[in-house]
Amino acid sequence: MHSDQPSAADSPLEVADDVDEEALAGVMRTVPLGAGVLAGAAVALLVVGYLLIYILVFIPRGTVG
Amino acid sequence: MADLHPEMHERWILRTELLWSFGVGILIAAILSMIVLTAVTMGVNPPSNVERIDPKTLHLSGEFSEHNLGTTVGADGSVTVRAVATQFMFVPRCIAVPAKRRVTLRFASPDVLHGLLITGTNVNTMVVPGYVAQVHTEFTRTGDLLMPCHEYCGLGHSEMWATVQVLSEDQFKPGPDGRISCAQR
Repeated sequence: MHSDQPSAADSPLEVADDVDEEALAGVMRTVPLGAGVLAGAAVALLVVGYLLIYILVFIPRGTVG
Repeated sequence: MADLHPEMHERWILRTELLWSFGVGILIAAILSMIVLTAVTMGVNPPSNVERIDPKTLHLSGEFSEHNLGTTVGADGSVTVRAVATQFMFVPRCIAVPAKRRVTLRFASPDVLHGLLITGTNVNTMVVPGYVAQVHTEFTRTGDLLMPCHEYCGLGHSEMWATVQVLSEDQFKPGPDGRISCAQR
């Protein structure tokens, strides 16, 4: 190999990852759970905000209809 | 590979989606129940009143003619406020209402679309030409509240506002004709 030709090892993207199947399986077990927790926490915060405004602001302002 | 990652199986994804849908269903049911419960027990509803009126003649005679605008206390003790929302003012500019009593607010527009809210309360409605906007409410606190137009109605829109003077029971003294104006302060 000539020295002026680029080697695949020069670019980290070109080198195949050494995938540990066990580690990958572990990640695949926790990532969907994390996504669920994140989405659940976001929705829970929205619902708590809605309830606080409804109970502490909207209802005390009196009846309307 | 597929055996190592059961979370990626279609049935796992479906299970997660069903679980999420179930949770969202419970939330929607809880919020709807809360809305229905407050509507039934506390009278908190979106104002709904379909009543037509001719915008070309409403100021000439009848309910929204000038002499009939303002606050009126009926023989049965019911309090009704009638006001006209027009470019670019509310007539009258100040409305006197009693605290802790049910009040019926009625508005009409002879020109364009207007809207109003009363600060610190849940009163919030549009005033559509051709219809009477009616809102029932009960003011919980005494004091002067701002009532601006909240629907862009033209160049003078930002100058269009009125005052709602909420009076305590001992201050709310209508005249012999059942009418009451804002107290001069």
